[in-house]
Order: sequence, then structure tokens, then C-alpha cells
Amino acid sequence: MQSEIRNSNSEILKSMNCDCTEKVSSLIDGELAPTEARELERHLISCVECQEARAAFLNLRSKISEFPADFNPVGQREALSRVLGKGGVVGSGLGWRWIFSPAAFAVASLLIVGTVIALLIYPRSKPTPVSSDEIASGPKKRSPTATPSPMASGVQKGTGSKQNNTAPKSSPSPSTDKNKVPNRKRAPLTFEPAQDNIASKQTGPNDTIAENNIGMNEPTRVRSADAETMTAIHFQKSELLLRSFRNVRLDKAGMSPELDYEKKLAQKLVYQNMMLRREADASGDTQVSSLLESLEPILLDIANLPDKARPSDVRTIRDRVERKNIVALLQVNSTALARALD
Amino acid sequence: MASRDEEFTMLFQEFYPSLCRFLECLLGGRVELAQDLAQESFLQLHRTAWGTLPDGEARFWLYRVARNFAINEFRKSHTRYRLFDRVVEAMSPKARNPEQEYETQERKELVLSMLRTLPEDQRVALLLREQEQLSYRDISQVLNVSEGKVKVDIFRARAALRERWAKRAKTVGAAG
Repeated sequence: MQSEIRNSNSEILKSMNCDCTEKVSSLIDGELAPTEARELERHLISCVECQEARAAFLNLRSKISEFPADFNPVGQREALSRVLGKGGVVGSGLGWRWIFSPAAFAVASLLIVGTVIALLIYPRSKPTPVSSDEIASGPKKRSPTATPSPMASGVQKGTGSKQNNTAPKSSPSPSTDKNKVPNRKRAPLTFEPAQDNIASKQTGPNDTIAENNIGMNEPTRVRSADAETMTAIHFQKSELLLRSFRNVRLDKAGMSPELDYEKKLAQKLVYQNMMLRREADASGDTQVSSLLESLEPILLDIANLPDKARPSDVRTIRDRVERKNIVALLQVNSTALARALD
Repeated sequence: MASRDEEFTMLFQEFYPSLCRFLECLLGGRVELAQDLAQESFLQLHRTAWGTLPDGEARFWLYRVARNFAINEFRKSHTRYRLFDRVVEAMSPKARNPEQEYETQERKELVLSMLRTLPEDQRVALLLREQEQLSYRDISQVLNVSEGKVKVDIFRARAALRERWAKRAKTVGAAG
């Protein structure tokens, strides 16, 4: 199997004509010496194949780095206490010994009974919409197995997939009716080099989104000016929110008044974020969509903070914001969008 | 000055999520197993190497051990059936927003399916570069290979994925 893969890979490599393509890979990783990098940059101006390779590699980077990391503060705390406390009650090392223990039998029996009941009940139940109140109050009790996942890119697994699940399917309130998006055929997930990337200069790993905005006013864009305006405003508001959230004082007793504002604003922005992301998805604007996707779990987390949030909860979100470098990305994108619209 | 356990906690909080993601991608999307192995790696670090490693080495050590655990799992996976994981999966709460969940899942599956087509050494090198943003030198330390091999592996992985993604795009385009 592995040898088949290798053979097919070597055929792929033979199809590349320019000898510099390999260096392009090192260039985007910042692994070339300055002189060599300059030479290659000059070569890139005239070599279409290398330009395409560079754009494709950068797109590939964004796809892989956007892979949602699993972030669940509760689960993580539990995992840490298992590692620090018990020393050995984790993981695959338990193997069959654990599976055959009486406790495991009890748990498995309960789960099987539960599964049967759930299967009996599930077909009769209808999906219920999640109200904005539920988002505000957050889950009553988080499952320890929950694995929140943000599609984030600076991208630590800052959030887990279940966090996205708290996103409302629809809302009964009139103000959110506009968020309902008709079932449109989604643009296929492709990996074609973006034209914008071809023209852009080399930057660090997190600059892909910014790069792609350079070409936003090219005639190929399909997003409407209204949507772009709304997106630019949304980015600005989100940036302000995150800055404000970053400045919340944690040492002050009873910090709920300060967080109240952030939470309410985050609740409003979550809806808008979802709407704009769908719009960006539908119009094939993957870079904006990707940034919105990174932003969404953070907004959800802020919106879902409990009334008396613990400093550690706030710190966790802040850390994620820092790791993703999302404030800077929002700033760059809102500016780029605004310029494109001028 | 932070105690030994406090330092370990900080390290855990910083690297546990990304180690889980690395393992998930390496294992082809097996989330539960990835979390188990990530915890197992930290446990090994805490038991055996913590305090003896030079500054900044713990991260590399973790990725090296995690990768070895993953390789062991590849070998075992043919004979091992994780009933417990299946039951937990069946019992886990369903997505509240199926459409969104479906989209996220589809993207993840796409990336995972592409990564699965790569040889293991290329996959690890590429993941350490793209997700963990390690330099070639750091990756060579983690994998215990030369920097040259890392460079070649990353390039080959990228070239292969690019080609496959382009083919897929053509197929999707033709079908649509």
C-alpha cells in the first residue's frame, strides 16, 4: 500500500517541469537563505508553474491548518487531572483490561440500555430550534466527552466541534428570521489555486487571508457589494468586541457587568457571522468564509459564558484569540474590504 | 516560581489541543483514540521525562512519543475493535444544527481523506509543519531524521496533495 502511494507520488513529481518547484515549498516555509529567496522571488515573476505551485501550496496550508483542533476546557481539565492525579488511568494503555472490568460492564450495560431507549424515542422526536436565550445561557452541563471544534486557523483546536453545535438552527424571534438561508447548493470544496495568491508576495503562514484580499476588487469577484460592506462592518465590530474582551479586568470581584456587554454583543454577532459565512460559502469566497469560521466558535464561547464566569474561562478564550491572531486578521480584512469598496 | 506541576499544567494547556489535532489527523479522524494517545503521551512525560529534559525539548519529546503511539495503533488496529468508542459515539448528543455539522464534518473528512493518501513519514512531516509550524530543524529533531529528508518529504507531500486535490476538483466540477 505504502509503496503504491510512493510510486504514484513519484509520477506526480515527474509531471512538474520547473526545477524550482521544490524550492518554492521551502520558500513558503521561510527555510531559504535570504539571497536564495530573493532569486526565487525574481524567478517567480516569470514562471507560471512556480506561481501556481506557490498558490496551491499556500491554499493547502490553509486547508490543513484550519483543521479544527479539539478544544473543550472541561474535558481538558479532566484529562489533565487524570494525567496528574491518577497516573495511568488514561488512554489506550488500559486496553482490554479496562474493558473487561466490572465497572466497564456496568457502564456498557447502561449505555446499551440507553441506546435502545434513544433509538426508540429518536424517530418520534422532532428537531427543536434553539432560542437565543439558550445561546446566552449556554449549555446547562457540558458533557465531558464533548469535543468542541472551531474551524479556526491561526488555529489551535481552540474550540471543539460541539461548540459549533450550539449555533441556532433557526430562531423564533423576528430579528433573526433574516438569518434563515434558503437551501442553496454549496460550492464544492476544491483546491484550485486562487488567482490572488499567485500575484501576492511571500508572507508568513498566517498571512494567506490577508494576501487574498489584495485582489478583492478584481472583476472575478462574485460577492455583492452589500455583502462585502456588511462583512467589513462585521469584522470591525468583532474586532472591537475581541479587543474589549481582551481588556476585561479579571482581578475585579463580580466582573459580570463588564462581561454582560461582551456577551450581548457576541450573541448578536454570532447570528450575523453565520449568515455572512453562509453567504461567503455560497459565493465561493473561501478566505472570508474561513476567517468567519474561525471567528464563530470564539463568538459562541463568549456568548455562552455563564453569568458568573470564572477568570480561567475568560483566560482560555483570550488565549485562543491570541493564538489564532484573529484580531489582527480581522483588522487586515476589514481594511482590505473597505478599500475594495471605496 | 512555578512548581513542577504548575509548569506541567501550563505545558499541558498549551499543547494538549494541538497534540490531539495532530494525532487525529495522523490516525485518520479517530478523535477518541487521538485524545487517549495524547493523554498517554503527557502521562509518559510526567512519569518519566519531566524535569530531565532541556528547556523547550518537552514539546518535541511529546510529538515524538505521540507519533510512536500512533504507529503502534496502526499496527494494532487490524485486530482491535473498540466497542466502547462505538457505544460512546452512538450515545453522543446529535448536532443541533445538522447542516452546519455536516459541512464541518465534510471539510474534515476531505482533509483527512487526502492526508490518508500520503505515506506516514510525509504525513507526519507535513502536519508538524502546517499545523504546529515547526521549522525543518525542529521536525528533524522530532522525527530523528535529517533536515534534507524533512524538506523532501514536505515537498512531496504537498505536490501529491496538490495533484489529488486538482483531480478531485475536476471530478466534482464534471459531476456538478
